[in-house]
Amino acid sequence: MRKKVYIHDVSLRDGSHAISHKLDKHQIALYCQAAEKAGVPSVEVGHGNGLGASSIQVGFSRLEDIEMLSIARENLTKTKLAIHVMPGFTTINKDLKKAFEIGVDLVREACHCTEADITERHIAFARDCGKEVIGALMMTHMVSKEILLEEAIKMQSYGAEGIVLYDSAGAYLPENVREKISYLVSGLNIPVGFHAHNNLGMAIANSITAVESGAKIIDGAIRGFGAGAGNAQLEVLAAVLEKMEYETGISLYKILDAAEIAQENIIEELPTIKNLSIISGLSGVFSGFSKPVSRVAKEYELDARDIFVELGRRKVVAGQEDLIVEVALDLKKKNSTFNSSSNG
Amino acid sequence: MDKKHIEFLKKDCEDAASWSLDMLEELKNKKIFIAGGTGFLGTWVAEFITYLNDNHQFNVSLTILARNIDSFKNDKKHLTERKDIEFISKDIRNLNELSNDVSFIIHAASSPDNRIHVSNPIDTISIITKGTDNLIDSAFKLPDLKKILYVSSGQIYGRSIPSNKLISESDFGPMDCNKVNSIYSEAKRLAEATCCAYVSQYKLPIVIARPFSFIGPYQSLSKPWAINNFINEALNKKNIRIIGNGEPIRSYMYPADMVVWILKILASGKRNTSYNVGSPYGISLKNVAEKIVQFTDSKVDIDIKYNNDDSSLYVPDISLCQNDLGLKINYDVEETIRRAISWFKL
Repeated sequence: MRKKVYIHDVSLRDGSHAISHKLDKHQIALYCQAAEKAGVPSVEVGHGNGLGASSIQVGFSRLEDIEMLSIARENLTKTKLAIHVMPGFTTINKDLKKAFEIGVDLVREACHCTEADITERHIAFARDCGKEVIGALMMTHMVSKEILLEEAIKMQSYGAEGIVLYDSAGAYLPENVREKISYLVSGLNIPVGFHAHNNLGMAIANSITAVESGAKIIDGAIRGFGAGAGNAQLEVLAAVLEKMEYETGISLYKILDAAEIAQENIIEELPTIKNLSIISGLSGVFSGFSKPVSRVAKEYELDARDIFVELGRRKVVAGQEDLIVEVALDLKKKNSTFNSSSNG
Repeated sequence: MDKKHIEFLKKDCEDAASWSLDMLEELKNKKIFIAGGTGFLGTWVAEFITYLNDNHQFNVSLTILARNIDSFKNDKKHLTERKDIEFISKDIRNLNELSNDVSFIIHAASSPDNRIHVSNPIDTISIITKGTDNLIDSAFKLPDLKKILYVSSGQIYGRSIPSNKLISESDFGPMDCNKVNSIYSEAKRLAEATCCAYVSQYKLPIVIARPFSFIGPYQSLSKPWAINNFINEALNKKNIRIIGNGEPIRSYMYPADMVVWILKILASGKRNTSYNVGSPYGISLKNVAEKIVQFTDSKVDIDIKYNNDDSSLYVPDISLCQNDLGLKINYDVEETIRRAISWFKL
């Protein structure tokens, strides 16, 4: 019997980052129809930072969460409708209850990789409502496999039915994936998954390594449509897994058709690995920092790459964007000290 | 709590009393102190004792200690607005002294909810270990102390008992003390060892109960345990999801049996002896789910995910309680699940 891998499609959520969260109803409907036809098991929809995140802080969505989820629900039957949820952005009363009324099937409950404690209430609420819940640990390159397992055990205890490790900065090499995924697989009773970013061009290779290490859930985005350098390209994943004789339930031709549809109607610019994405991956800094770093670098006449490297040294995480200016000021000061001592 | 629920509980208490009155004679006219008395076990003790007082002249008075009694007082007025129950709102670690007229103590302070253990492991250990030390110290000077019952856990047996047999009181399996999910069981082991030390050094009358799994009134369907989730899903018309292969064998005792067992162990358990408290009737999780679908009459599917190959057995051998204390099981698996569902449907 062929081994099964569950491919979870994040195009309409992670891809929102790439178009400043400006998905419209037509795009959501078109892509959901195409994904449904292709037999994609689940499609995640919403603002790039998840349910309830639309704000001045991380950018406003074109549509309200409810509008996005409703239109997706209308166009998904067998394919599960999924949401990305982060405590801090998402609240139970304001967001989750409404999403469940619309008919969301699957919740990705996400948090920074050392903060699983904050997911307990959301997971309990979603499980009480009969929803399937998968825990998502983000920025997992920052900590050891032992810490990841401890945090994953917390989510498992709260009721998560799977744990996905997010390589949010695209910083992993296959050996890192192998080490962490296999450790979690042996330490948990629930399936383990992997969410890749392509900053170092490793998204597909890392995802396949994850599968070979025991992962049963792999995230992909059509044409790699995701934040920064993008995610693991879903149609490529489907093809490679087909070649490796894994069962994904996805029709290859139809997912290729979906990719054409997405490219023509949704994706403004195909994801490429830009210089800053490479530096972001090497530094282990979340790709979402690219735009503010570029802006601050220009303002302070600094090399954006230097800022990224320093941010990586300081181990910043999403939500600490205000540190960018502090780092720029420190670099500026260091540069002027160096220049004056060189001159003097 | 409304009249329907109270009537349901009264029927359970009637059934429990029908076979246990003579066994509990020693408790008559005594004061029982319950630490952690607002939890599942403590609430059942309060429910049954008040029933015995009202209907069989037991004349037992209860003192219930808990950290937060407000929600309990709001939800369970039929227990809180009585003269035979006194409440103390205090952390067991800060307890200084007990009333001199306390004869029996039940120490049930600590939650078995594994979400709490992994989120607050230090507090979990502290409540169990320091709480046990403190309570026994406080009990030391009681002039009429008859018995202290420490409520431990079936989890102290570790994760993998070598053979596939029912777990008796001496079947200790391995446990990895460096794993956060061993925190609760390791702390419980230490608390049992503490009890043993007090028995050995000061000859205190301490007895231990090791509860396994229960389902029925006063349990919450939002607890993260398989049967609770299954019932919740079926009652909400959702498919029942089984993470693994459905093969693990578990057993479930109905609380009306449990409360008699706990009180009998308190009354007559031998000093420095540990007793399993649970049902010996094992059932696979798949069969549990099937029975829940049947008894809830829900048109839902059972979705077995096969994400692990766990086929462990966690079922107690109860021959010690049966032979030494004359205890028995009145609700078989089917009746336990059926009656629990009736409660949750009220």
